[in-house]
Amino acid sequence: MINFDNVSKVYPDGTVAVDGLTLQAPTGKLTILIGPSGCGKTTSMRMINRLIEPSSGVISLDGTDTQSLNRVDLRRRIGYVIQNAGLFPHRTIVDNVAAMPRLLGTPKREARANAMELLERVGLNEKFANRYPWQLSGGQQQRVGVARALATDPPFLLMDEPFSAVDPIVRAQLQEEFLRLQREIGKTIVMVTHDIDEALKLGDQVAVLREGGHLAQVASPAHLLAHPADAFVADFVGTARGYRALGFVTADGTLGVDREPTVRVGDDAATATVGADGWALAVDESNIPQGWVQLGRLNGAQITESDINISGTVAKEFGNLRDMLNSALSSPSGRGVVVDERGVLVGTVSAEAIVAAIRTAKQEVLAS
Amino acid sequence: MNIFDFFTQPANWVGSEGIPGAIGLHLMYSGISLLIALAIAVPLGVYVGYTGRGEAVVAGLANALRALPTLGLLILVVMILAPVFGSSLAFVLPTIVVLVLLAVPPILTGTYSGIQAADPDAVGAARGMGYTKAQILWHIQLPCALPLLLSGIRGATLQIVSTATVAAYVGLGGLGRFIIDGRAQGDYSKMAAGAILVALLALVLELAFIAIGRLVISPGLQRTTRRSRKTPAPPQPQPPAPAQVLASSAT
Ligand SMILES: Nc1ncnc2c1ncn2[C@@H]1O[C@H](COP(=O)(O)OP(=O)(O)OP(=O)(O)O)[C@@H](O)[C@H]1O
Ligand SMILES: [Mg+2]
Repeated sequence: MINFDNVSKVYPDGTVAVDGLTLQAPTGKLTILIGPSGCGKTTSMRMINRLIEPSSGVISLDGTDTQSLNRVDLRRRIGYVIQNAGLFPHRTIVDNVAAMPRLLGTPKREARANAMELLERVGLNEKFANRYPWQLSGGQQQRVGVARALATDPPFLLMDEPFSAVDPIVRAQLQEEFLRLQREIGKTIVMVTHDIDEALKLGDQVAVLREGGHLAQVASPAHLLAHPADAFVADFVGTARGYRALGFVTADGTLGVDREPTVRVGDDAATATVGADGWALAVDESNIPQGWVQLGRLNGAQITESDINISGTVAKEFGNLRDMLNSALSSPSGRGVVVDERGVLVGTVSAEAIVAAIRTAKQEVLAS
Repeated sequence: MNIFDFFTQPANWVGSEGIPGAIGLHLMYSGISLLIALAIAVPLGVYVGYTGRGEAVVAGLANALRALPTLGLLILVVMILAPVFGSSLAFVLPTIVVLVLLAVPPILTGTYSGIQAADPDAVGAARGMGYTKAQILWHIQLPCALPLLLSGIRGATLQIVSTATVAAYVGLGGLGRFIIDGRAQGDYSKMAAGAILVALLALVLELAFIAIGRLVISPGLQRTTRRSRKTPAPPQPQPPAPAQVLASSAT
């Protein structure tokens, strides 16, 4: 656990960056620091590994006051990931990851072997291992940054806007992968971000800071959305919070998933089974959904690839209602496609069924 | 007698006055001066680049040194040192002092700007990961400074080699002998031969530096040095042509 006890930071020029921050980052959980620009997020995070010295208050790691430790020893217990990865430009990727273990005396072979394993874990192909940082994309560099921070297997991890320098698609991908990784490694993480969606998606708990380094609220993402402490927090989590909150309600058995007749590429339009509205769901040999086709409007007598409309998203069978609703709203037939863990078709849901499920969930929350 | 004859006469290939001997002496003065300059400029440059202290002083000093007239300085130092040292040391030493003074600025600038140009994100990451200051300097900043450091040394070397011709002015050997003597004897092919030899030597050294660069600079940095616009290369003094040195000093 990382514990902030009444910590303040006043810079020499008189700027109060953090003011009386008291906060716990629980062991094995991911704590997000979020707030408007200049509110003291980075300052708070960097006080943990004493890149910035607190002016007053105590920060402790698992009960040990950080001031009682040597700065270098302290930092070696804490993995550190920064926005632009900060890879060492003169070292290859594998040697970047192996850098700290090598510095601490791990034999080269062993350090490299471990580094290769870590690279695989963060989803980087081994063909990148012997390249140099400039030969990698921003997203790939950031993966290396994460691998490097994990190389000495530190119990704590600090991440300052780790995914903000990449485009939205890569960011979403990195977030997904990082969540999966964190489920395996269970580090105690403090992550700074300015992206509320990222905070809600990744955080086990989210600490919202306001200007002047005051803690406005710390809570789980769902709680933050449902019970913002004040207007500042409400404003900060955004006007789409009703919709965002659906991301934390999982679809249970009460959500009615309908069986959906399917077609395949190459099928004859005349013999195909079709819904009342003329839309049919195309799947491949493994029953993985490909998209929707409108049977009355085919280009030829048979269904071809070009007939498939791929605008709809898919939702996971036991996923959240936000994804379900999104799937129904984006589907040209109005029926949201639901798949299992392997991506195989389970059935479809209508927007009406989802709204009914939302209503039930709301009542349950209010009743409890 | 044309230049071709100068190079083909066997007599010009023997003795300390011959071509190999002159090249040897030339390289010796140059090498000694370079080593001394390295010993002064690299540690100083590392200190300045690492602490950020004294940068303005050092930069000003380097510029001032660059503006010194080579030959005037040489004669001044000879005049100061001649009474102190009796022997030929009175001429060798001033020559080396002058060459060292010439070589220090580019190496100094290359070293500290190289260290300062090391990617701040990489340095910041290393600090956050728990590298000590010395480890950051040794494992990150110095390797990253190598391209600029080496180009500083290269500039210094070319400067030394072309300027070492002034040694002949105070009666010492080296390739400058051909130029000075040729001029005195009205033997222009000898003068030209001297100039050509200096230029050839500079060319060979240039090639050697390219090879050294390939060897010691990480491929991870070679692109950034070639393409990066954010790290300014240290000012590269164009080594004056030997004939120019003498011409300007003769006026
Ligand atoms: N070295 C410094 N000296 C003086 N003031 C500083 C220093 N570093 C930061 N500040 C000020 O402290 C406040 C908090 O800065 P900090 O970098 O922690 O903000 P942040 O929340 O990380 O902002 P951002 O989202 O823009 O990264 C700001 O007002 C900033 O201007
Ligand atoms: Mg910040």
